[in-house]
Amino acid sequence: MVEIAAMAIDAATLSTREINTLIRARLKSGPAEISVENPNARHNLAVALLQPGRVRFAGSVGYYCGGLIDGAEIYVEGSAGWGLAESMNHGHVVVQGGAGNGAAAAIRGGTVVIHGDAAARLGVSMKGGLVLVGGDCGYMAGFMGQKGTLIVCGNTGHAFADSMYATTCYVGGNIGGLGTDAVVEPLSAEEAEMLDRLLAEHLPPALRAQKPPGRDFTKVVAGRKLWNFDKHNWKTWQDAL
Amino acid sequence: MNDPSSRPLLQTSGTYTAEVMQGIHTKAETGIYEIRGYGTLRQRRWATFDDLTFLPCGLTRIPLEGYREKCSTRTVLGGRFAKRPLELEIPIMITGMSWGALSYNAKAALAKAAAKVGTSNTTGDGGLSPAEREFAKDYVYEVLPSRYGIDVHDLRGASAIELTIGQGAKPGTGGLLLGSKISETIARQRDLPVGVDQRSPARHPDMLGPDDMVIKIEELREATDGQVPIFVKLGASRTFDDVKLAAKAGADVVVVDGMEGGTGASPAILQEHTGIPTLAAVCEARAALEDCGLYGEVQLIIAGGIRDGVDAAKAMALGADAVYIGTAALISLNCNKPLYLEDYRALGTEPYHCHHCHTGRCPVGITTQDPELMKRLDIEQGAERALNLLRAMTLEIQMLARACGKSDVHHLEPEDMAALTMEASVICGVPLAGTRKVFGR
Repeated sequence: MVEIAAMAIDAATLSTREINTLIRARLKSGPAEISVENPNARHNLAVALLQPGRVRFAGSVGYYCGGLIDGAEIYVEGSAGWGLAESMNHGHVVVQGGAGNGAAAAIRGGTVVIHGDAAARLGVSMKGGLVLVGGDCGYMAGFMGQKGTLIVCGNTGHAFADSMYATTCYVGGNIGGLGTDAVVEPLSAEEAEMLDRLLAEHLPPALRAQKPPGRDFTKVVAGRKLWNFDKHNWKTWQDAL
Repeated sequence: MNDPSSRPLLQTSGTYTAEVMQGIHTKAETGIYEIRGYGTLRQRRWATFDDLTFLPCGLTRIPLEGYREKCSTRTVLGGRFAKRPLELEIPIMITGMSWGALSYNAKAALAKAAAKVGTSNTTGDGGLSPAEREFAKDYVYEVLPSRYGIDVHDLRGASAIELTIGQGAKPGTGGLLLGSKISETIARQRDLPVGVDQRSPARHPDMLGPDDMVIKIEELREATDGQVPIFVKLGASRTFDDVKLAAKAGADVVVVDGMEGGTGASPAILQEHTGIPTLAAVCEARAALEDCGLYGEVQLIIAGGIRDGVDAAKAMALGADAVYIGTAALISLNCNKPLYLEDYRALGTEPYHCHHCHTGRCPVGITTQDPELMKRLDIEQGAERALNLLRAMTLEIQMLARACGKSDVHHLEPEDMAALTMEASVICGVPLAGTRKVFGR
């Protein structure tokens, strides 16, 4: 059995470079559970972590927390600024509060879980992975999504799932307006079961209990009218361009 | 019967030229604007590097001996903040051109040539290609709005990071790669469905203006442990203001790409009617860095239609530390060479006129993903040709610098030149030849 070492960092008096250097150095020497006290919503924490390990932030973080990681787990006991986990290869990022614009932007894999609300452009240009939001999301979530799965348990803003390639979206609440080329598709029994499983796996039981059952989610995918130009779909292209 | 007065007089409209009418016919058939590759095809009626001439030494200055006295070409970029600035043997670098727009063979040939001469090549939209991973010595890793193929390991392996805001051929808009070039391999690399017309976003997904960019640049420094320089690349538009904002945001190096810059595919009107010319761009960029007190501390790379060592030397005399080449590098690989004539004609064109990179049917195997066409570009021969071009261009820059009495190509300066037109004098701040007057000052 691998022993997980514990480490605590007080970020109050350290620079961002010092904090990240300490985290990286510790993870390089083997799996570890690192607690960072007083993150004070500082930007660029836990960027580009390339080894397995768990980092806990006891408070809110700023922009790009967990950006460009590959394999680490990050838990934020607060809220996160813009670009949470952007361009992540693999990993697991959980935010107990809300997240700013562009959360999970361009991720290629891994999981991003936001217990609260997400702001605009959630999962923009995502290329894989799973994004799960317990609350609501702002406008243009899923914009230009290429692959992966985007789940919003609450309501969405307008232009949801706009101009997508092949991301699959599921919404538990009301859709504030579909984006260009976004279409609703029937939800299969297997997908409802998958949603129940993922929500149970990623949300705390008390939060899960407040969310609708998987069968009540709405599935949204690309209508594929923007994949290749067709002059007969001019109206769609006029809105898209 | 042969009386000339009986023949019809063919008059041509200066407004509705044959090209204009053909464009209207095409739009009437397709319902979409023209998309093509290459860059602007306009006859350049704006001030260019051709409107400047060097003023070699006479009695007022002493030239260097061409064969004996050294003229350094060593180029260092990114000393402002990076622990490991990018050190190059020559001031000419290969610009970002994606694997997808270019074939594997083209990327491989350029990476090999760059490595051999001691300069860098740049990744382009779509991430690091296997060719660059294998052959590049120093690669510049582009972080583009699309983030296609982004990979932290490749980013950390780079010698510099380039945060791309725009490109000269189409500033303010995203990239384009038509479905004919989204092969299974390219689709896998970019996480896209096979055969889609890929439209890249115009904006980064996680930042908007210069305030966000300050944080973004810090993120990239954190991701690379502050080791390598961070470039910010701009399509030349409001260059004076954009360069100042990029420099103040923390860029080590600012890249400015003028409107003569190339592209693999783009709406033609963007190539023809957006952005400012490269000559104007370099002058605005230098003025911007001087204005904020960062000239010399933040390096400047100029791109966009740099054809030879003369263009490069003039750009450097006006303030650039290095230049990027793209289209010229592709021409060295045989772009537009009279080979495979039947395939040019199948595209409706001829050698020296081809701008059909967007079709994926490049007759000489450069801008294609077709395995059979790609074979026409032999990697070793291509690398040798590109290497020769880089070397010849370097010799041209050195020749001009020596003639102007400089022992380092970076010592070239505006007063080594005169303007041949009033416009060039106004833009560049150098006297019009035959006068001692800088017009507009």
